[in-house]
Amino acid sequence: MPSVLLISTSFTGLAANQAKVLGMPNLPCVVLPHPLGGTPLDSVLAKVDKAFDEIVAKLTTPLQAGATASAARTTAERVEIACEDEYTDLQAEFLRRNWGDGLPLVPPTEERVAAMVRGAGLAADSQVAVLAPRMGVATVELIAVNAVMAGCRPQHMPILMAAAQAMAEPQFNLYGCQATTHPVGPLLIVNGPLAGALNIHGGSGTFGPGPWANGVIGRAIRLILINIGGAIPAEIDKATMGHPGKFTYCISENEAALPAGWPTLAEQRGFASEVSTVTMVGAESPHNINDHESTTAGGIVTMVAGTMAQCGQNNVYYNGDTLVVLSPEHAATIAADGWSKEDVQKALYEEARMPITRFSRENIERRLMRRMAMRYKDRNISPDTLVSVVQRWEDVVIVVAGGAGKHSMYVPTFGATRSVTKPVLKADGSPWAAADVK
Amino acid sequence: MKLCSPEAQSLPLSVGASARPSSLQGVRVGLLDNAKAPVDKMMAHIDRRLKERFPGIETMLASKVAASTPATTQMMQNLRQNCDVVINALGD
Repeated sequence: MPSVLLISTSFTGLAANQAKVLGMPNLPCVVLPHPLGGTPLDSVLAKVDKAFDEIVAKLTTPLQAGATASAARTTAERVEIACEDEYTDLQAEFLRRNWGDGLPLVPPTEERVAAMVRGAGLAADSQVAVLAPRMGVATVELIAVNAVMAGCRPQHMPILMAAAQAMAEPQFNLYGCQATTHPVGPLLIVNGPLAGALNIHGGSGTFGPGPWANGVIGRAIRLILINIGGAIPAEIDKATMGHPGKFTYCISENEAALPAGWPTLAEQRGFASEVSTVTMVGAESPHNINDHESTTAGGIVTMVAGTMAQCGQNNVYYNGDTLVVLSPEHAATIAADGWSKEDVQKALYEEARMPITRFSRENIERRLMRRMAMRYKDRNISPDTLVSVVQRWEDVVIVVAGGAGKHSMYVPTFGATRSVTKPVLKADGSPWAAADVK
Repeated sequence: MKLCSPEAQSLPLSVGASARPSSLQGVRVGLLDNAKAPVDKMMAHIDRRLKERFPGIETMLASKVAASTPATTQMMQNLRQNCDVVINALGD
């Protein structure tokens, strides 16, 4: 239906891109000077007044239909790049083309890409996923090109394809994650036999750095999100700050260190232990939880909940899930008191709350009372009112990872996202086994 | 040096352009608040300005619950059924 889009100057690139991608490149837009939020209302309304005639004019001016788009390419375009020095000239050209994350890239020659494709066990032109906001068609070959550039091995391809499929699920809200001002990057959590077989490290220093596969796999996902999903930094990816995990962000659950009787994340989500899985979490950077003193389950839960209960995080405002990465020693202390993983989830849901007085008056009035009226409408808001981090105990996702020491991690998420777990399967539907990737 | 480009193309999508009214007189206008501050107040202001300029104009305000998620199908259907044109917002 006829519409006009109001945008501020800082978002014109994103608006133009989305209009084009969604098939309406000439969508009428009215641009207002940025910023609008957080500025005095009279100045905002003055900007609206200045634009009012343009709004009316654009709603009443006939529009030409956009050109019909042709089918998307399923194989990677071959490009000839002149270079005297393979290192400096090529790297400069990669930067000029916006092909990367700013770090040196492995040149994606046809031979390297062909070898990477063979690791997928699927035809090069097979479509794996469609990735927002570009709605880029992620074929095996295009994923392989990005994998080469990130430094991956062909054996990593099944992990990357499962990750792409997970991010394309609607509940992950990839469009939101890719275009938002919030600092969110997908965190990969690998479970199952492939983690060990591929050297995806879940022990000491799991978040990095280290000579494991975590770095290149997480980096390949970032390149895929830029080059296939179209999240060009600062242009389409509108993160105000970003975070270091957006370069690479991959861990595995330290399954060997799970307390007896605790299921893995994959098992909690219904997958058998011989099936490797990739869980994608739309995650902020991790925040450390130092607890060298607690010797009981309740003590550790209090410290974790206290770290979770922060008012500036998106989780407070949305209905998504959030992540706690327990160190093996903290998990062992908790389990020694007879607590199950579910007990911890339920306790954190109950305890990770903060007094409403931690929020500004504007946030209480606009966000909590109005936008979240469904959550608070039947409650008498008083200074003692507690605001919870998540809305259901199941939304506290817990994994055990890391090495020796008394540090766990709280990983807030984008909030308007839910983590998605996908099995790592071959073309015939059977799981990739450790022996397949040696 | 011959290399493979890592860039994907978009799914081919195209949307036809709807006919636009020649004037807003007598037109039903939807005002879709994207839930970013202070778009609700901006839309209320545009509502007042429209009613001043085009007496008898009908308006309908719709507010997304969150800027980070799409408008609900029900909200979009309501706008489609009850409005002739829509003013929308994106970003901060």
